[in-house]
Amino acid sequence: MERTANIDMATWRADMAAPAANRQLNIRAFASILIACACGSAFFASWLPLQFSIVTVFLFAGPHNWFELRYFLSRLPVRFGRSRNFFITAFAGIGFLSATYIALPVLYSFSLLPDHLWPTILASWNSLLLLWIAVLIWLRGKNKVRRDWSWAFPVALGLAALNWLAPEFFSLEIVYLHPLVALWFLDRHLSRARPEWLRTYRRCLCLLPLVLGGMFWQLSRTAALPDDNGLFWRITQHAGAQLLPNVSSHALVTTHVFLEMLHYGVWLVALPLIAPLGRTKNAQSSSARAIWRVRAVPVARHPRGFPKLVLAALAFGVFLVAVLWFGFAVDYATTRDVYFTVAIAHVLAEAPFLLKML
Amino acid sequence: MKHFFSIGAFCLLLALAIPANADIARPKPSPSPAQSPQLPKMVLHTRLVVVPDNKAWEARLQITQSSLDELRAALGNTPGNDSTAQRIAHSTTRTIMAGVFMFLSLSFAGVWLARSMQTRSQKAIALMLFGVAVIGAAAMMTQANAGPPGSYYWKKLPQNLTKGAPTSGGVDIEIVPDGEVGSSGMKLILPIKPE
Repeated sequence: MERTANIDMATWRADMAAPAANRQLNIRAFASILIACACGSAFFASWLPLQFSIVTVFLFAGPHNWFELRYFLSRLPVRFGRSRNFFITAFAGIGFLSATYIALPVLYSFSLLPDHLWPTILASWNSLLLLWIAVLIWLRGKNKVRRDWSWAFPVALGLAALNWLAPEFFSLEIVYLHPLVALWFLDRHLSRARPEWLRTYRRCLCLLPLVLGGMFWQLSRTAALPDDNGLFWRITQHAGAQLLPNVSSHALVTTHVFLEMLHYGVWLVALPLIAPLGRTKNAQSSSARAIWRVRAVPVARHPRGFPKLVLAALAFGVFLVAVLWFGFAVDYATTRDVYFTVAIAHVLAEAPFLLKML
Repeated sequence: MKHFFSIGAFCLLLALAIPANADIARPKPSPSPAQSPQLPKMVLHTRLVVVPDNKAWEARLQITQSSLDELRAALGNTPGNDSTAQRIAHSTTRTIMAGVFMFLSLSFAGVWLARSMQTRSQKAIALMLFGVAVIGAAAMMTQANAGPPGSYYWKKLPQNLTKGAPTSGGVDIEIVPDGEVGSSGMKLILPIKPE
């Protein structure tokens, strides 16, 4: 009797141990892939920074925007309810700030304003951006029980003060910090979809400063990258070579390309594959295919939803990606400039959707 | 077949990426001269007289009008390269705006702390923050940057010269009519008392 009981216990333990072992294996595989991707990106970005900047933006800029659109649609509620003010502020801010940002290079090209006014205009736009984010944080805090997120105002105003001292540097910070927002999205997504991976993911994130520090240490004394043609000059300027003349442009471009590659990797690979973006009949196995199903988006699936609108938005997104590829093929430098100006809309859109996940 | 199509599409994209690396002309000359080590550039040669003055409180550099004109003409051929600190110092509007935002930030932080915290010590911190904001705003408005008089920094010049050590201190630059500083182009008056 006792032996029988022991056999049953052993079988039960083996049954329980199998999923746990699989889970452990999955976590290890996940960590290995993360580290390999980060190291691979760092290697390629350090090796041929300008070339990889051209190729990655060409291939992934458009598709990653489409995946972001798809992700944001899946996060959009059918009815705003108590978040009405939050979403109205969010969409109004995205529209206004994007329109004004796109207007700046147009104004510059027509030379309508004297040169000495541009830092003031840039600082004003940055201040509006900071105040918009502060209002969003405050509104988000109002939806949470026992949370007062009014601290956002002094923080935003303090940052605005720093921005007025050196607006060009503040804009450069956005260039470098924006790719990191994707890692925050992945963190929030994992906490909901695969909480058992979250700890491992955060440990891997601790390696990021080490990789960045190592890259910078290796490249900070290297010679400046050749910027003898218009395209290379644009890439080095985008990475801040003019603002930071004492830092090697090789290190700057490499860091930017590395962060961009991580950003694209999160939106194009990690988020769609690690966790399903929408509910499907056999959820996880078909998570990758669910990306293409309009009905997997809650706003489209709901009886009071907008399936045609969602379909139109996604189809238009695909069309824009094709147009972007065509533009890159015809005139890469101009299309790149236009893309990085218009792409401010997706940078802004990330703020409210990230806040909704906090 | 699907895989073949996918690989074909990927190759097509890569092929399109190759002509994108076009060798087009840069829009303007490279604006990053500081990437190469900067060498001192001589723009003007003139004469300088150094005079100690025990009645002066501040060092003064007197430049004659003609020397200034020559200097202006020489600088006209030299591109400006202001540092960030210089650009900030030269922009009054931006400095004022930064001060206003800092004042607002500290004030809001004080109000937020006072509202969200209950104990007396925490309220004292909030009050202190608000006080710092008010003092900061007052300092900004009065543009107070008073320090010790220039003679304090320059009084060690003789000893430093003997030791071969550098001496730094403030200097007022004055434009004076030609002939007022003798045959020299410039005159440096130092507030030093003879020992």
